[in-house]
Amino acid sequence: MGILDVLNAGRTGLLAQQRALATTGNNIANVNTPGYSRQRTILEAVPSGGGYGVGVAGVEQIVDEFLESRVLGQSSSAAAATARYELLEAVQRLFPVGSVSVGGALQEFFAAANELATHPEDLAVRTELLERARDLAGRLRDAAAGLAGIQREANQRLATATGDANRILQRVAALNRTIAGAEAAGGTASELRDQRRQALGELSQLLGVRTVEKANGMVDVFSASGLSLVSGGDAGRLEARLGTAAGLDGAALHDVGVVVPDGSLISLGGDPGGEIGARLTVRDADVPGVAADLDLLAVTLRDAVNAVQTSASGRDLDGAVGAALFAGTGAADLTVVLTDPRGIAAAQSLASGDNANALALVGLQSATHPALAGATLGDWFGTLQARVGTAVRGAEDTAAMEEGLLAFASAQRDAVSGVNLEEEFTELIRFQRGFQAAAQLISIGDGLLEELIGMVR
Amino acid sequence: MIARVTQATVSRQLLGSVRQIERRLLEAQDALSSGKRLRAASDDPAGAALVNGLRAQSRDLTALTRTINFGTAVLGAQDDALEQAESLLVRAREIAAQQAGTLATTASRQQAAAELEEIERGLIALGNTQVDGRYVFGGLASGSTPFTAFDDPGFDPLSPYTGGSDPFVIRTSDASTMRLTTPGNQVFGASIAALDELRQTLAAGNAPTASIDTVATVAEGIRAERASVGGRARQLADRASDITAGISRITDRLGDVEGADYASVVTELTLLQTALQATLASGQTLQTSILDYLRL
Repeated sequence: MGILDVLNAGRTGLLAQQRALATTGNNIANVNTPGYSRQRTILEAVPSGGGYGVGVAGVEQIVDEFLESRVLGQSSSAAAATARYELLEAVQRLFPVGSVSVGGALQEFFAAANELATHPEDLAVRTELLERARDLAGRLRDAAAGLAGIQREANQRLATATGDANRILQRVAALNRTIAGAEAAGGTASELRDQRRQALGELSQLLGVRTVEKANGMVDVFSASGLSLVSGGDAGRLEARLGTAAGLDGAALHDVGVVVPDGSLISLGGDPGGEIGARLTVRDADVPGVAADLDLLAVTLRDAVNAVQTSASGRDLDGAVGAALFAGTGAADLTVVLTDPRGIAAAQSLASGDNANALALVGLQSATHPALAGATLGDWFGTLQARVGTAVRGAEDTAAMEEGLLAFASAQRDAVSGVNLEEEFTELIRFQRGFQAAAQLISIGDGLLEELIGMVR
Repeated sequence: MIARVTQATVSRQLLGSVRQIERRLLEAQDALSSGKRLRAASDDPAGAALVNGLRAQSRDLTALTRTINFGTAVLGAQDDALEQAESLLVRAREIAAQQAGTLATTASRQQAAAELEEIERGLIALGNTQVDGRYVFGGLASGSTPFTAFDDPGFDPLSPYTGGSDPFVIRTSDASTMRLTTPGNQVFGASIAALDELRQTLAAGNAPTASIDTVATVAEGIRAERASVGGRARQLADRASDITAGISRITDRLGDVEGADYASVVTELTLLQTALQATLASGQTLQTSILDYLRL
């Protein structure tokens, strides 16, 4: 080994440490960059025979694909659970615990019926009963309109979400092309891979995806049901298209799916996961379920009250058989059609002080109905309220659990790929010292050369 | 167990903890300010259904309280009317006894007939007693007076009653009803006929010997009806106190189910505040880094 080899070893050392310092610096700079995976400079000794010194074999990105896909899947579940919880919470607000609700209006209606049974001839009492009936019908309509509104909102947001998803699919496809190009030329595309991972993370919040990396560095993306969303450098297109199914408000709802070349739409399937999946589930199962229960209450109330009111033995204040009090086909359009308080059939005889039919009307309060699974009207509403409460509670617990799992999965991912400043600064010092040592080597080599030249003089 | 902890992990965890504590703090503060443990059905779904049922019961009992108060007023008015009727009949019997005696003259009997006319008017007026617009002796009819006025050309002492023949029934609980009134003809029919017969006997100047017992008998009927009214009033009073007890039981139960337990909420609030302070303090120690120890 000659003196020039010493100089050469020092030179390669300087370059290699500089490169390592740059990588460490890059890690430090990206400590807060979302999705960034730390990098490490791989140093290796110049093989014997090739001279002396150190070379940079490359810069590797520390990534565990298994952990990455776990974070991806978990962020889908967490986003779905949170979206579902938020929507169900809005449903719950339509059925508050307390007197300002359908339940409270039902209680007031029967209290007014009780008052009618006490003062059947009193016009003020009759008017009050009609008022309470109108209030009850109004509250049922409000709740039904609220449900229809929540369903419509979930539906509209599906359209927004598919638009967002399409932009991400385009970005992933574009990144696929760039990454494949860069890596085919022998380079590394760590930052681009980070960007793609970040994009896939955003996508998985919108809907559940599966990814498969190919040999050329491109990633194929599939929906949970296996539909191709990104194939190499080409992005598929999602669309929320007006379908045939109608919402609670009667207007058409969106079908969400992938557009195939002939222009038709292939549905994403039952629960495609992510926010889109949660909104579809709430829109198509949860909200219609509550609306059906509410309709059942409205229709049973209408039939029971009308049956008493129009019974052949019932008589209004003018001695006539009563006319129907409620009309409508469900909670959404339930109205009070009886306008004249004299028309309430409180009696079962021509006597104006007769309250026999009014007693039958109050009796409905504790009557059980086969249509309501043997429950009374009030209990049915209580059960409906409890069912919504249970769903919200469940969604809240699931959301908290999924968030916890996501935090854990992210922590595990960070344990491998995240930047730790203490570690990076230690590396910084290590490479700084390496750099100083290499510089010292050159200085010593220089001294040796000078000695040698001095001897010749 | 996380093998390698990064700044991002620590700050994410810290942020998560702070958010969770703040959310629970908000809930505790809400519970404290509203006094309610159950503010939405999801706080306790089964409790919400129970609250709904209890509120319905409580509302029904409050409605029944109004009905029972009205019933008590009607029974009170009946009792007053029957008491007065009883004293009118006692007076009528005195008159009959006096005028049947040997000291009575045609003139005194005709004078007594005038007093009896007033007594008869009084009894008919009692039969037309009203409470809140309802004729308490009118059966189910409530539009017009159940007894024809004495001065009405159509007045027939043998059938002065034009009211309904069915009693008025009120609701006293979820499953039971009670007869509140007795149709007026059953109460006063015999008394009016007896008084009228006595009056006519006296007006004719005859000795009303037979009427002494008749009037005593009808007075007995009024006393019996009064006893029956008293019995029903006692039933209603019992029912009213049952309802009051029921409402207070339900209120207690509602308090248990939906009310906040102040002691535990305040304790939780204190614990959460401490937890928040501790978490934030641990956040401060996180600011310590290798940079503090390096001279770069």
